[in-house]
Amino acid sequence: MDKIRTVIIDDEAPARDLIKHYLKEFDYIEVIAECSDGFSGLKSISFMKPDLVFLDIQMPRLTGIEMVEVLTEKPEIIFTTAYDQFAIRAFELNAVDYLLKPFPKRRFLDAVAKAVERIQSGESGRVPAGKLLEKRPESGPPVNRVVVRKGNAINVIPVGQIRYVEAQDDYVMIHHAGGKALKQQTMKYYEDNLPKADFVRIHRSYLVRVEDIKRIEPYGKETHVAILHSGDKLPVSRSGYKQLKEELNF
Amino acid sequence: MKHPVLSNKVRQIIWWLAWLFMALGQLLSYYLGFGKLTTVSISDIIISVAIYSVLALSLWYPFSFFNSATTRPGTIVTNIIAGGIISLTIWILLTRMIMLLLFPRGEEYKLYWEATFYFRIGSGVFIYCLVVLTYYLFISLTTLSEKKAKEARLESLVKETELRMLRSQINPHFLFNSLNSVSSLTLTDPEKARDMVVRLSEFMRYALSRKDEQPVTLRSELENLMLYLDIEKVRFGDRLSTEESIDPDCLEIKMPVLLLQPLYENAIKHGVYESTGGVKISTEAKIEEGHLKITISNNYDTAPSSRKGTGTGLQNVARRLELSYGNRASIRTSKEADLFTVTLYIPAEYL
Repeated sequence: MDKIRTVIIDDEAPARDLIKHYLKEFDYIEVIAECSDGFSGLKSISFMKPDLVFLDIQMPRLTGIEMVEVLTEKPEIIFTTAYDQFAIRAFELNAVDYLLKPFPKRRFLDAVAKAVERIQSGESGRVPAGKLLEKRPESGPPVNRVVVRKGNAINVIPVGQIRYVEAQDDYVMIHHAGGKALKQQTMKYYEDNLPKADFVRIHRSYLVRVEDIKRIEPYGKETHVAILHSGDKLPVSRSGYKQLKEELNF
Repeated sequence: MKHPVLSNKVRQIIWWLAWLFMALGQLLSYYLGFGKLTTVSISDIIISVAIYSVLALSLWYPFSFFNSATTRPGTIVTNIIAGGIISLTIWILLTRMIMLLLFPRGEEYKLYWEATFYFRIGSGVFIYCLVVLTYYLFISLTTLSEKKAKEARLESLVKETELRMLRSQINPHFLFNSLNSVSSLTLTDPEKARDMVVRLSEFMRYALSRKDEQPVTLRSELENLMLYLDIEKVRFGDRLSTEESIDPDCLEIKMPVLLLQPLYENAIKHGVYESTGGVKISTEAKIEEGHLKITISNNYDTAPSSRKGTGTGLQNVARRLELSYGNRASIRTSKEADLFTVTLYIPAEYL
């Protein structure tokens, strides 16, 4: 049997040591790399293509969640973190398990067994109950950056540079100062997590930075169109117009 | 409410002196009016004033009884008038009874009684008004001061509650991550694990056991927060270093407990959490113009973090300073290149 190639990503050395120590029990698991931040973790995964990754969430540069969001080929992932509020997002991302630090050894072994089963059966788990989960937003203060993949490059877009977000089936297109980027995420997520004072949902498919709107013109009988400083024209629905009116007081 | 006169020795003396003066005044005016003092007039004046002085003392009870916040003004007025009629009647009848016992069949008393009857009623009403006025003045002054005291008590209670709420709560993730490190160290370095458990316990004892807002010395605040930073150093290894420059003269200055904790927590959160390189947290304390000046600074990665901080930590520190010192303390923050600095000024007071 091929060895299961494993990467451990955590910014705290003692936390990595513990996982390494527990993994010694499995002679068919080989730790091929240890990383202490999001970027180097992402690099190791892309180059080494491991089978299994132990991943912390709160890390410098990129969080574990942001990392998985931009991975094109996903290994099996076991999150290990002291934060419980990312669990739903983690399972949406099809994680094998979510271990809350400090975790008992029993719990760790169960998670590894689950991962091994998935790897050996060659199927990457079930489809997550995404539709059910998406109604429950990841809560917290507004996000400050969005991480996207463009070809082989990873871009970190500061929220201040986002002009508008456009819905495209299961994805969103993020239009920002430096171009545009596709990301697998829901409009609802951005509506909930971008700073509410700065962005308005003007249409089912468009979330726009208020500052970027140059003017609003009537378009057809009931609808309007928003013209941005960049020249882009976006449709404004009736309820979107009402929200804009409230936001801008006209 | 207690009896305003009977409950206080000084007021008792004033009370009896006032009545004595009243009696002397009446005697004097009688003398000036009629040119002489008779046994009858002297006896009558002394007896009537004595009876009235005792009667007036007892008047307090109906007044204070019919004077709660819910008593209607109509009731109070009725009470005063009824009290007046009843006490005047008792006063006059009682005086007359005693006088008749002392001077049975006295023709002189009969004449005296008839001559002074209207004056008696007039002076009775006048004295009654004075007594009522005195009592009501006392009641309103007492309720006023009681109200003020109650307000002050309430205010200090609110302040204390707010201070307790603002007292920084130790971030549970700090605890969980530290325990995870301990869990790991028990396997790799049991000695260090024990050491960390001890530090963690000492710090938690400092943070949890202080239920009240008793100030602490800068010495004990710094000692305990260094424990906190030591624990974080075990977690982050080389990525976290600290540097202290503390003027020994400051160490006994008192300050609110755990005031600095949110500042160090911020330095860790925005510095160490977000940076792959080393982060140095520097602490400086010295006395400047009668104030304790504490400066805490850390370098940080200027790239945007995943989520913005909410600023609650700094706001809480500022509010605690305001509640504890009014405008005698201040907090300032500054960002220069990759260095974040918080400066606190606290009045240099000693325990």
